[in-house]
Amino acid sequence: MTERFQQGSLSARFGRPVVTLVLVLTLVFLAFPVVMTFVSSFASDWFGVFPSGFVTVQNWEDVIVGTGVGADVAVGSSLAYSTGLALGGVIINLIVGVPIAYAVARYDFWGRDWVNVFAILPLAPGIILGVAFLRTYPDLSTSGIALIIGYSLLKAPYMVMAVQSSFQSMDLQQIEESARSLGASWPRTFLTVIVPNARTGIIAGSIISWTLAAAEFNFSYIVYSRGTPPLAIFLFNNITNASFLNAAAAVSVFFLLIALVTISLQIVGNRGTIRRV
Amino acid sequence: MAADQVSMGTRATGAVRTAVGSVVSPTSERQREIRRIVALCLPFSVLLVFSGVFPLTEMFRISFSESRLVTEGFTLEYYRTMVNDPYYRNIAFNTLWFAAATTVASISIAVPVAHALEKYSLPAKSVILTILSFPNSLPGIVAAFMIIILFGNTGVFTNLLAFLSGQSRIDVAISTGVLGLFFAYLYSMIPRALLLLRGTYSEINTDAEEAARVLGATPLQTFRYVTLPQIKPGLIGAFILVFRTGLAIFGTVLILKGLLVWTLQIDRELAQGFNIAQASAMATIWFVFVFGFTVLALRYTSAEVSI
Repeated sequence: MTERFQQGSLSARFGRPVVTLVLVLTLVFLAFPVVMTFVSSFASDWFGVFPSGFVTVQNWEDVIVGTGVGADVAVGSSLAYSTGLALGGVIINLIVGVPIAYAVARYDFWGRDWVNVFAILPLAPGIILGVAFLRTYPDLSTSGIALIIGYSLLKAPYMVMAVQSSFQSMDLQQIEESARSLGASWPRTFLTVIVPNARTGIIAGSIISWTLAAAEFNFSYIVYSRGTPPLAIFLFNNITNASFLNAAAAVSVFFLLIALVTISLQIVGNRGTIRRV
Repeated sequence: MAADQVSMGTRATGAVRTAVGSVVSPTSERQREIRRIVALCLPFSVLLVFSGVFPLTEMFRISFSESRLVTEGFTLEYYRTMVNDPYYRNIAFNTLWFAAATTVASISIAVPVAHALEKYSLPAKSVILTILSFPNSLPGIVAAFMIIILFGNTGVFTNLLAFLSGQSRIDVAISTGVLGLFFAYLYSMIPRALLLLRGTYSEINTDAEEAARVLGATPLQTFRYVTLPQIKPGLIGAFILVFRTGLAIFGTVLILKGLLVWTLQIDRELAQGFNIAQASAMATIWFVFVFGFTVLALRYTSAEVSI
């Protein structure tokens, strides 16, 4: 017995290093290409192991100003278009997501668990919903309205989850009863007492569902037909058609956007939700 | 008999009318509460019906349509094609084994990573967490680009391998093969699996683990007999959700094209001659399979799903 303790088992000796190695390899696998993409977007060519010809802003200029070749557009119009579409989705998400999150967190009713499952699990993924939209709303596809209502359904779960995590940390019944006993009507209690108290979750949920809507590719690809391409389609066109380093710059623009969102989420301070992005 | 039906009909309408009436003009506090719950759930239900249920129903109807441009008639032709044509059976087989394999691989990697995050004291933990959750907000096409950076014709690992083995870069590039696609799936699925498993890991009773170690169990035995039973419900839940994610991946395959899977074939039906009926039939099969699979899995396993 003592001997075994002194020798130590295989897992006692190698368990920790092996687990740590898996962690390190995972981190490298996930982070290294991101860093390489960003670095190479400032290079003028990449023929060897590493890109060379630093520092040039030519790739960024091609992305930001546009090359003017064929139907190529600058990132600005796509970014602005996607910002608007995703914002529309967020507004719908606020209207539908906050009330249902409150209903599930505050009240006990028949079928509550199923309501929760439907609010939290995405009904169908982007590509399936896209196929369903094609013939159902053919006239809306070109105007972007189809994209907005599709985004809002696809990203509603993230809004509901973020708001719910805020509601769960509040004593809802007590807050509601205090406000009611002071004479506020129920709608007024909900709008002027409950909702402002959950603002951390609401802001975090808005940021998350905005980002994911702006990044949604599968649904946009099927539904989008003509006009300004949404941001994800812009990225796709760059990855498939543009030069490699131009694509790197386009993807880097997207990375910057995500970095900005991560920072703003940290400022909002809803750490629990950041992990969910 | 007929009178019976009529009276049952009127009774049913009567009950509905009472229910609607109590919601519109409630008389008791309990009825007022029900009205509030209904009002709170109403906006979401409207969105669900307009952008979810209605389009999916239309899709279901189109999949039986005889005519291409309008929905009319009834034919099982598109479903028959999927069952009889070995081409489609092959795609279904590809999709299932590939999603299953990537799910198993990503969870086998996510378990030790979640373990390390929970048990070890790591330097710069917030940076590590950011890196691990960052890919969750990237679309599949960017994951594909990341794989091109690593394993493409001029990719970093391709160059390294070519240098070490002395072969040409084109021969060792794997990004457009099945293996490259495998890594691309992992790029999206590991962070997703990790997200689910970290929640499970944070609820483990560490006293039992410490007791097991003090009583002489090796770390592996402790994991096998103490930790694993505790994380099992979360693990099964993660399997279900990550498998769903794997089946839904489309953008990644569209760029890398390593394997013809169900979602890619749906797009090809649309791209090559806009065969919307066949695409709808395929999407319907996908939806019914995943929906049924999720419901059955949640019903008959101890899975815990919390996202």
